Parts: sequence; C-alpha cells; structure tokens
Amino acid sequence: MKTSDRAFLALVACTAASTLIALYWIGFRTPNEATMGAVYKIFYFHAPAGYAMYIGAGCCFLGSAGYLYKGSQGWDSFAKAGADVAVVMGAVLMTTGPLWGAKAWGTYWTWDPRLTTSLLSVLIYVSYVVLRQFTGGGEGEKKFAAALGILGAANLPIIHYSVRKWGGTHPQVVTGKGGGLSHPDMKISLLLGFVSFTLLAATLVWLRMRQDRVVARLDEAEEEAMQLGVLED
Amino acid sequence: MSLLSIAADITVPATATANAQPPAPATAAPVPAASTPAPTSSAPAGFNAVDDRTQMQSGEALLIEAYIAIWVLLFAFVVIAWLRTRRVEDKVAELEKAIERAKVAAPIPTTKRSASEPPLEPEKG
Repeated sequence: MKTSDRAFLALVACTAASTLIALYWIGFRTPNEATMGAVYKIFYFHAPAGYAMYIGAGCCFLGSAGYLYKGSQGWDSFAKAGADVAVVMGAVLMTTGPLWGAKAWGTYWTWDPRLTTSLLSVLIYVSYVVLRQFTGGGEGEKKFAAALGILGAANLPIIHYSVRKWGGTHPQVVTGKGGGLSHPDMKISLLLGFVSFTLLAATLVWLRMRQDRVVARLDEAEEEAMQLGVLED
Repeated sequence: MSLLSIAADITVPATATANAQPPAPATAAPVPAASTPAPTSSAPAGFNAVDDRTQMQSGEALLIEAYIAIWVLLFAFVVIAWLRTRRVEDKVAELEKAIERAKVAAPIPTTKRSASEPPLEPEKG
C-alpha cells in the first residue's frame, strides 16, 4: 500500500472516530437547552457545517488562484473538489438552519442578512459545479471557472460579518452574544462538531480531488492510446 | 371534577382506541336525539389519548443511534469510493504502461498535422 493510501485511510479513521465521539457527546452527555429543548442540538451540526462550507470554498479559492498562476491540472482538481464540498456542506447548513429556525423563530425562512448571504454563497458554488459539469474541459472553461471560484470567495467575509454589521434575527451564539453554550459540555460538543466536520471536509476534498485527477489521467491516456492504435473507438 | 380526571377513570379497549374518531368540531350540526341513544356515563365522547404510558426505550437515545448508523454508512461509502478510485487508478496505470510499450514499438511523429492542412501527397516511385 502506498504512503498516500495509508495517510488517506488514517484520515478516514480519525474522521469516523471524531464523528462518533461527537455524536455520543452531543446525544448522551450534553444537556438540553432550557428554552428550545432537544432541537438546540441541531446547532452542534449546523455551525460546523457552515464552517466546513468555508473550508470547501477556501479550497476552491486557493485551487482557482493556483490554476490561474501555474495552469496545472492539480490546482484545477483542488478547486473542483473544494466547490463540491462547499455545495455539500452548504446543503447541510441550509437544511439544518431552517429546522432550527422553525422552532426558534416560528418560521423556516426569513430574509435575514446572514441567511440571505449564506444562500447566495451556496448558489454561487452550485453554479460553479454546474458550470464544470456541463462545459468541456478546455483551457478557456477552466479559466472562467477559476475566475468564478475567486469571485465566489468574496462573499464569505460578508456572511461572517453580516450579523455584526446589519444585525437581523440570526444569533451570534459562538461569540456569546446570542445565548446558549452556558454548560461546559455544550462547549465540548461544539468543539467536537468543529473537529469532526473539519476532518470530514478534508476527507471529502482529498477523495474528490483524487477522483478528478484519475479521470483527467484517463482522458489523456485514452486520447494517446487511440492515436497509437492501442485502443479502438 | 375535571375532564382529565374523568378520562383517567375510563379504561378503553385497545381496538376501540385505535379505531376511535377525533371529536366532532363544536360547529357540527346537531344529530336528532331520536336517532342516537343517550350516553350511559358522563364520559366525553370521542378519542381519549392515553398519556400515562411508560417509555420502554428513550426516544432520544434511539434518535442518536439512528444518527450513528447513518454516519457509519456514510464512512463505509467513503471507503468504498476510495477503493473504486484505487481500482480505476490501477487500470489507468496499466493503460499508461501499454502506451509506453506501444510508443517504444512504433514511435509516433512529434509534429501533428491539423485537420485544416491539405492531405499529404503519396510518395511516388
């Protein structure tokens, strides 16, 4: 087994272990919040999912910038993998948030600054994935996608500071102004959630990047093989 | 005597509870007295929820166990995806080796002619 394979399996094992510990801690050790009850525990998945979306978007930004600078396939694969993870984690964020909001605010959705900017960000990465799926793998398409990957990241700080800047109904739980996290086990649960979702995002980026690279290698090899007559059409 | 205490005194068979209908709304039209027998007790008609059941298992624990099962399946999926990727990588490596062997056997020209160029004249003699 190659070193990279061993490293990947170790990462998967760490991710699985941290996730199961987090689930146990959230489910059996952390007390229910006084006003919201068990629904509050959605928060331990919701906030880390938002953070993991930032990680995916950050990978997409770095990969896009690297591709525009170096022009290599590896950077492009990194950007694509990051965008995929951003969409997946954004979907988790956008599913858990309204469920929490239904209990806390009595409505699934409101056009609050943070909710709106988060939705916008998810839609940007969905458009990136759709663009990569339905356009060819030419140089022009890759450069256009890289530009979108860089511009898409511009929205991330806006999401983060929208609550402080424009207020709205979305609480600032982590910074302590929105209530919650009063019990030490609640803080441990949130920390475990962040650790497990960070490792999960890293696992998915790695796996997706590897898949993309092998597909690129296969395309090149097929083309070359057909020229040589090794492969038939 | 409150309604709750009346409901607690009444024992309803399981089949009767399962088939019970919800109480009619207050605005429903009154049924003529001649067609319905008068109630034999002072109990309210309709469905009475049994609210003093003891939980056999904690619902919250079952929920978390379900979450754990989902996450275990997700990680199994990740490992399977990785194994499949490795298999494809091995096949690509074999294909690349075959290409190298074919290149050694019959080297291809380094300059490629584009489709817009006219075809080469066949050599004479």
